[in-house]
Amino acid sequence: MWSTQLTASRVAVLAVLAAAAACGGASGDAAALAAPVALDLTAPPPTQLSDYHLFAWDPQGGFTFNDRVVPYDVNTALFSDYAVKQRAIYVPDGAAATFDPERAFDFPVGSAIIKTFAYPTGPSAADLQLIETRLLIRYDDGWHPLPYIWDADQRDAVLSPAGEVRAISFTDPSGAPAVANYLIPQRNDCQSCHAEQATTGAPIELVLIGVKARHLNRSYDYGGSVGPRNQLDYLSELGMLTGAPAAAELPAAYDFRPIEASGVGAIAGAALDTAARSYLDINCAHCHNPRGVQGMTSQLFVDHASTDLFHLGVCKRPGSAGVGNGGLTFDIVPGEPDASILYFRTDTTQLGAMMPLLGRSLTHARGAELLHAWIAAMPATGCDDAR
Amino acid sequence: MQHTRLAMIALGAGLVAGCGDSDHPSTFPTMDCSKVTSGSCVEIDGADSAALQSAANSIGASTTIVLGAGTFAMTNQLTLRSDGMHLIGQGIDTTTLDFGPATTQVNGVDSIGKDFLIQDLTVLDAPKDGIRVEQSDGVVFRRIRSTWTTASSSANGAYGIYPVKSQHVLVEDSRAENASDAGLYVGQCQHVIVRNNTVTGNVAGLEIENTQYADVYGNTADDNTGGIVVFDLPGNPIVGRDVRLRDNTIQNNNHVNFASGGTVASIPVGTGTFAMASRRVEITGNTYKNNHTGDIALLSGLAIESDASKWILPTDTLTGTFADLPLMSAGAGTVINFRSENIVVAKNQHEGSGTMPDPNDPLHLGLLFAVTYGASPVDNVLYDAIGEAASTDAPTNKNHMCVGGNTGGTFASMHLDEQSATAVVAFYRPLAPFAPYDCTALDGGDVAAVTLP
Repeated sequence: MWSTQLTASRVAVLAVLAAAAACGGASGDAAALAAPVALDLTAPPPTQLSDYHLFAWDPQGGFTFNDRVVPYDVNTALFSDYAVKQRAIYVPDGAAATFDPERAFDFPVGSAIIKTFAYPTGPSAADLQLIETRLLIRYDDGWHPLPYIWDADQRDAVLSPAGEVRAISFTDPSGAPAVANYLIPQRNDCQSCHAEQATTGAPIELVLIGVKARHLNRSYDYGGSVGPRNQLDYLSELGMLTGAPAAAELPAAYDFRPIEASGVGAIAGAALDTAARSYLDINCAHCHNPRGVQGMTSQLFVDHASTDLFHLGVCKRPGSAGVGNGGLTFDIVPGEPDASILYFRTDTTQLGAMMPLLGRSLTHARGAELLHAWIAAMPATGCDDAR
Repeated sequence: MQHTRLAMIALGAGLVAGCGDSDHPSTFPTMDCSKVTSGSCVEIDGADSAALQSAANSIGASTTIVLGAGTFAMTNQLTLRSDGMHLIGQGIDTTTLDFGPATTQVNGVDSIGKDFLIQDLTVLDAPKDGIRVEQSDGVVFRRIRSTWTTASSSANGAYGIYPVKSQHVLVEDSRAENASDAGLYVGQCQHVIVRNNTVTGNVAGLEIENTQYADVYGNTADDNTGGIVVFDLPGNPIVGRDVRLRDNTIQNNNHVNFASGGTVASIPVGTGTFAMASRRVEITGNTYKNNHTGDIALLSGLAIESDASKWILPTDTLTGTFADLPLMSAGAGTVINFRSENIVVAKNQHEGSGTMPDPNDPLHLGLLFAVTYGASPVDNVLYDAIGEAASTDAPTNKNHMCVGGNTGGTFASMHLDEQSATAVVAFYRPLAPFAPYDCTALDGGDVAAVTLP
């Protein structure tokens, strides 16, 4: 029955791989990119990631991106157990994404968002063990998620809808050895984060999270003759993005890199607030916003645009958090991070209590430090807990 | 995505045909795809969790997944995100999805999509909720068990059977055990029937939260901290109403409160039923036995959230029907739902309860009862009288609480606004027929019957 099919299909996959190897390799060298990006929306998605010709990976040379495939980075990133991420956008020739000041850009059919997750294996930035590449491809009926898992030999990645939980040993940013129970999401999990709806019961739509102006508004070193450029300006210049004002006129989320490198330190006041709200926005608000499919229930809304203190969690009791309360009463007790459920859930590694729900098995030390400092800096008004 | 599904199914079909595998393996003794008459169907051999995960992430809408006999060792959540997902095992004791091997925090079965059915299997040791079904219309739980191996462990998942924000929900002939929050938790749903289930060893046995039109009957709540409860929480965008608890057995709910936190951590050990921040509720024909703190409490939501402003709801955010309810308001475009009102408690049987109130619950209700009642048993039906005149000689019944005709049942109102463990005032303990609480019918007619398609 089904199990037989799968065993057989694995064999088939291996056979394909052997054939590919015999033919001289699928993606291991940039020669694979001699052909243009192949994104056929009428055919079943290829089993091998390399068949898209989006990028090539070479353990010696790193990533090489095909024409119309532009790498990018974000100011503050979603924490994924310290995995390193290489992101890129593909927009078909002759088309462009449409700028939006607040929401994700509107991409034309045939576009792809590409995100590869890896762990460092050595001191150089290119010393990486690739784990998975997640594609979101824009079909005419919306975004389709397609998860690919990299082979042990790092030559190619294979379409893997079932996902996997994998123990990965690595060295964390503090230099300490760590083991992540790294979650490679199953395809149905994609909707857990990349989904929103107008109201409960309305159709659920797959959406992008990071490809928004405030997250992209930063410099990226494209290397070669281009060098460092603002990402929004460069995408506009390439004709891949239309309608964008000059990046200098646009707000930017907080650049988390200095905090990751050396901690919150003396960051205070408005900068601390922006840093924390940027962190909550990218790590939590994909659910915890008024359109978040799973976050609506909680009535906790921490997207950067949310200003209502109650919905931000201040003196708010959780709805149905169960074990997630950690014995505490309010989401945020101003001035008291250690009495705040929001801090507890983002800091803990207790199964059933951790936030975000998916993709974290370790504590993000600098992220937790930031949220701790943010709540501690709020004027201590106390919350009514007479009962 | 559609293309992938088609491709995989086509590939699978070709391989199956090619392998000449025509006999049903012995792991499908009672249910197999030949018995499925509509939609697509896939069979997963017992214990083949890898095949189950591949299938769940590849199939299209309206697919029945038949699970073979055996235990599936699940390292990850079973995530379903299409309409018409039906998950059917070989029997509650025959097919088990065991999430004990899961090393990340996940639910057991997690479904978003209309027309969901789960039947004839056990879900074991989920790190979070056992079976969570969200935003569905048309949900059936039938002959399933959601449980955790270790009794009374605060590390157990929160909810066993958990339909939330769904409509037309049926839970029947099922078991929910050992949940660290609520065993069977119906949250923010409309049009619900919960019948002939057994909940045991949970902190809260069976909860109906912010739910409209629910008929709860024939269930047994035994050995939980609290048996069967109805309530609204502050801030949830649906106002509970029209809930009927009838002909249930609610006994021996004296289990240690092992909640790690949350609202249920406040439930006194030995609680039968409470209705809190609720309206249009009928509690009739139930059998209450040996619940040490007490059988039935009618409570204002202020008991758990004393800040009335937290109970203000903007009406433009609400779902469900509420315009015909006499809800309080904080001005145009708002309602307030902490008030309990319009409740009938009748024809229940009471035996042996209220003899040992919990001296340790965080709300000090048990302590209050112990001091108030001394060596006498706590009255079977208690009303906190919040919103009534705080008087022992001329009590009011503005909230239309109707208590009468209960075999062996006694009643008292204790004005909780003014009570403390050391100073008991406004304690009103009438003899039957309990005037002015001797009304017998809800204002606005009986609770509406629930019909499911």
